[in-house]
Amino acid sequence: MDLRECYVSFGGDYDEVLGRLQREQTVRKFVVKFLDDKSFRMLEESIGNEDYDEALRAVHTLKGICQNLSFVRLYESSSLMTKAFKEGEHKNAVAMMPQLSDIYHQMIHTIQEYIQSEEK
Amino acid sequence: MDKQKILIVDDSEMNRALLIDILEDQYDVVEADNGVDAIALLSKHREEFSLLLLDIMMPEMDGFEVLAHINKYHWNYTLAVIMISADDSPKNIKRAYDMGAFDYISRPFDSTIVHRRISNTMFLYARQRHLEKIIVKQFYEQEKNNKLMIAILSHLVEFRNGESRLHVLHVNTITELLLKNLTQRTDRYSLSKSDIDLISTASSLHDIGKISISDDILNKPGRLTAEEFEVMKGHSAIGAQILSGLPLDQQESPLVKVASEICRWHHERYDGNGYPDGLKGEEIPISAQVVALADVYDALTSDRCYKKAYSHTEALKMILEGQCGAFNPVLLQCLQEIAGTLERELTEASGEKTVSIQDMRNKIDYDRLFSYEKYSSVSRKQQHLQLLYIDSLTGVYNRRYYDEHFRRAEDTEAIAVMDVDDFKKINVHYGRDAGDIVLQRVVQAVLSCVQETDSVIRYGGDEFVIIFYSIPADTYEERLENIKDCISRIVIEEYPDMQVSASIGGAYGTAKTKKLFKIADGMMYEAKLTKNQVLIRFLDRETDNMKGGR
Repeated sequence: MDLRECYVSFGGDYDEVLGRLQREQTVRKFVVKFLDDKSFRMLEESIGNEDYDEALRAVHTLKGICQNLSFVRLYESSSLMTKAFKEGEHKNAVAMMPQLSDIYHQMIHTIQEYIQSEEK
Repeated sequence: MDKQKILIVDDSEMNRALLIDILEDQYDVVEADNGVDAIALLSKHREEFSLLLLDIMMPEMDGFEVLAHINKYHWNYTLAVIMISADDSPKNIKRAYDMGAFDYISRPFDSTIVHRRISNTMFLYARQRHLEKIIVKQFYEQEKNNKLMIAILSHLVEFRNGESRLHVLHVNTITELLLKNLTQRTDRYSLSKSDIDLISTASSLHDIGKISISDDILNKPGRLTAEEFEVMKGHSAIGAQILSGLPLDQQESPLVKVASEICRWHHERYDGNGYPDGLKGEEIPISAQVVALADVYDALTSDRCYKKAYSHTEALKMILEGQCGAFNPVLLQCLQEIAGTLERELTEASGEKTVSIQDMRNKIDYDRLFSYEKYSSVSRKQQHLQLLYIDSLTGVYNRRYYDEHFRRAEDTEAIAVMDVDDFKKINVHYGRDAGDIVLQRVVQAVLSCVQETDSVIRYGGDEFVIIFYSIPADTYEERLENIKDCISRIVIEEYPDMQVSASIGGAYGTAKTKKLFKIADGMMYEAKLTKNQVLIRFLDRETDNMKGGR
């Protein structure tokens, strides 16, 4: 699997990100780095603790990252949740978590597969 | 050339890394992950940075709070702030602009656009700084030339006059010292730094009217006849007349206005017995009042064709006794207070033949208080003593001076021991340089509150001793409160959020210095318990011996 296939598979826009960041290497570097990003874990934790200010900040950060890396599917989902938290609709926001979580884990899985395929 | 420095403030490590990736080839990039760290970094190293990339939503202190702080202290005059939030709602963008942000880069980041936006902003700021520098340089050049022209002009008068060629320079110095002391004493005359500068400069022209007095009278040895004296007296009105012949637009300039006042009225006296108009009290502009006093003082202490010089002490005595006519009582107080400084300044200036007005002026730094000159202008003979006894950081006496001159004295009357509150914390939090500045500023504050005859000693670290000379109990108490208040009002521009205060312990009553010191030191430690307070023990009020400050 190459980087473009990886993007297609997790629902991202490879051409768009490459157009902006210009080098495949850079895109790759940040896709790999995304595995270590803490914002998703922060989101899970703060929802668990019912700390919705913290949850908003976490999902907002996640949204920003997705936007920068053209992770379209996860961006849409985190964007909706950010909006809900901002409008104070905590219940709705929390209800979006399973879907967002699914997309996130699928993405992580795909990225890991991509790295493994590269190593072979 | 060094790379320009950019500070990125964003709580997401991914986002910072992405920006660094885009920018690191061309710029020196520093990161902070929250607003508090960013402000701390900027308050220390602001001038190193050209640009700030600022996220909005952050823990601790968000982007708007950071912007508010930057705006409040006008850091954005030299530092461009570009917002980089993922929240690009028009409301937030507008708010950021309103709060002083220069631009807004929305996400997703496009490396070319980010580059262009940043380099354009930096270019604008750099060009503005460059222009500012040029203007400042031109302004100073202009100032320098103006002063030079005035020096040449007044020298012409002196040259013909045959009187001490240092007269103009001396009047200049005395005027300036008097005015500075006056502003510390009262705000009745509302004199700004630039007013003081203007009056001192204009004072050089006080005698230009003498250009029209004949040589025979001007340089006559011995007493003038009544008739001759009348002619001589004409010089003040003539001086003003000469200036009134200037074109109208020049007459409107502040320098000419002040110079005219000084020329015409520098022989008026406070009781109305002067000339040419017999003005009385505050009818005489303060500029002319001050120059009149300066003129008399220097005339007394210099050799003239008709008299020998009096000593500084004699001159002071003669003026205070009213032998040279009546002066504003407040100005006489000022004169008394600066007498010591004057004697040193004027003797020093006469000793160096090459001294020019420019040199003299450069010596006087408005931003330091009075006291700085006190210690910076001692004669060469005293320089080795200075090295031995003066604390190099603050310019006051050091521990050695205290040990050798005061510790064993038997008749000290009033002493205070002072310690800067939380000085260690200041050093740790703001750095040692900041600590040094605090000590200097504290000393300036103390010196602005004490008399010339009082001694200020840096006893060690952040501990100071003040020994008062001949002071009534209530003044003593007032003065210590004053010192405490002055210190608590210190604002250091580089560290605007820093709070400075001191705890002061006092001991009053004639005793051995050692004993008083011990008592004052004890009181200081008691004062430390609540900080920013004065506690005094009066030895002769044993029944009711505690007087607490706030």
